[in-house]
Amino acid sequence: MANILFELKQAGYSYFGRFPALCSVDLTIMQGSKTAVIGANGTGKSTLLSMLDALIFPDQGSVKAFGMPLDDKMQENSDFTMAFRRRVGLVFQNPDIQLFCPTVRDDIMFGPLQLRMRDSEAAKRQDKVVTELKLASLLDRSPYQLSIGEKKKVAIASVLAIQPEVLLLDEPTAGLDPQTTRDIIDILVSENLSGTTLVTATHDLHIIEEIADTVHVFGLGKNIIRSAPPEEVLSDRTFLQAHNLVHIHRHRHKDAGVSHAHQHDVKHHH
Amino acid sequence: MKRSRFIEKSLMGTVAFLRESVFADDYAAKKGFLQARDPRFKTAAVFFLVLSVLFSRDIPAIAVIYLITLLSAGCSFINPVFFLSRTWFFIPFFALFIAAPSVFSVFTPGEPLASFRIGGFLLQITRQGAAGALIFFSRVLVSVSLCVLLSLTTKHFALLKVLRVFRVPQIFVMTLGMCYRYIFLFIGIIQDTYTAMKSRCGYAVSPVKGQRIVAWNIATLWQRSYQMQNRVYDAMLSRGYTGETYLYGGFRAGVKDVFMLAAAAVIFFFVLWQTYCSS
Repeated sequence: MANILFELKQAGYSYFGRFPALCSVDLTIMQGSKTAVIGANGTGKSTLLSMLDALIFPDQGSVKAFGMPLDDKMQENSDFTMAFRRRVGLVFQNPDIQLFCPTVRDDIMFGPLQLRMRDSEAAKRQDKVVTELKLASLLDRSPYQLSIGEKKKVAIASVLAIQPEVLLLDEPTAGLDPQTTRDIIDILVSENLSGTTLVTATHDLHIIEEIADTVHVFGLGKNIIRSAPPEEVLSDRTFLQAHNLVHIHRHRHKDAGVSHAHQHDVKHHH
Repeated sequence: MKRSRFIEKSLMGTVAFLRESVFADDYAAKKGFLQARDPRFKTAAVFFLVLSVLFSRDIPAIAVIYLITLLSAGCSFINPVFFLSRTWFFIPFFALFIAAPSVFSVFTPGEPLASFRIGGFLLQITRQGAAGALIFFSRVLVSVSLCVLLSLTTKHFALLKVLRVFRVPQIFVMTLGMCYRYIFLFIGIIQDTYTAMKSRCGYAVSPVKGQRIVAWNIATLWQRSYQMQNRVYDAMLSRGYTGETYLYGGFRAGVKDVFMLAAAAVIFFFVLWQTYCSS
């Protein structure tokens, strides 16, 4: 039986104690699972990931990670904090925030070195992710010189170098071209096959079936309004439309222009 | 129109300068003389040389230290035009302005060197005033050159770690490290904001409107910086940052490092002897 890695019970968080960002969330993340978190803008997806990465702590309810509570007191336990950082990695939505080192090489090495890994181990991990993600040609470049797709890949590499058990991803494919999106999905699927637990917040419904076996939909009340397998959620177009997850646009079907709602996921041919 | 181009040039010039100066890690990655030195010994040697410059009252002695600085820059493959443009402007230039009044007899009485009249008022440049101003300017120039040389030939993270080795408080080093990251982000934001502004307003912006736009820019930048500071810090925490910096390879000192530091220390003690004991 798989272990429970994260357990949220009625977890809530408000910015400055006034602006609710997450309300009464119950969620369980199992080891090795693939979880997608979807929802319209401002429904709390990024806040949830920050909470799972122990960057913020709930002001209501509770969050447990690896059986230990995640709260302010966690910071006093440096051993647990260090162990937690080794086990959980977060890929931020904005790679410019995540990539702060002078070169790509420094950024990839940053995590392993801060987590007190030996130089030889850090170098081995760097070589591994660089080979897997085909980043060798970018190693000595500055992150700000890269394209958005390259930045995203480097941001993922900088977290994969830690070899976390849990990979949290905030909009990993937003705004990327189809080939880069494909590359990133392949990376994530491969990581999951090797045992990494994935939690992905995304708007890109077309990637969900590959990166998730459970989908949690967040509503405007900043709570989970539905949890189900991807195929079940994706097939309920009325539900998706009601929560701003599909759009209506006009396009040509053979000779006739038509306008109807659909998501760009599977088997929809214009 | 000219004024609007002036704003554009100033903004882009500042951004380009910041990008080149702050992120000139290309030089730190070269295999030159100073790049190969242990950052701890290099920093200590620079410290001794800066102290030597500050204690010295002798222009030839300061000139010799400046010559050593330029030679070291050359041996470290620093582009001389790049180096001189970054060390002669700003601080030394301002120092020259600050020191300028002291050359006149009104502030520094002494032996007249030259005199002229402005609006019937006699101004005299004195030998003592000119010498004092020259020493002040030289000290600033050489100190800035040494510090720029140190930062150009040492990786950013290594410098931060050296500060900790010398017991600089962690909070100070952490703040410095974060400033570096913010500048990195702001450069992108400034460029993007300016491009967005240009796409909506075009080049032909009236001076008053231009000033207003720049003022908005500053206000927006302040707000964004406030929002971003937490995210950047979160990104660092998320990958295990605790305030201490850990480097690949650590520091390794060799014979050349010891020799360099010893040479800098000898220069410092010689300057001390020359200033306080030789007469």
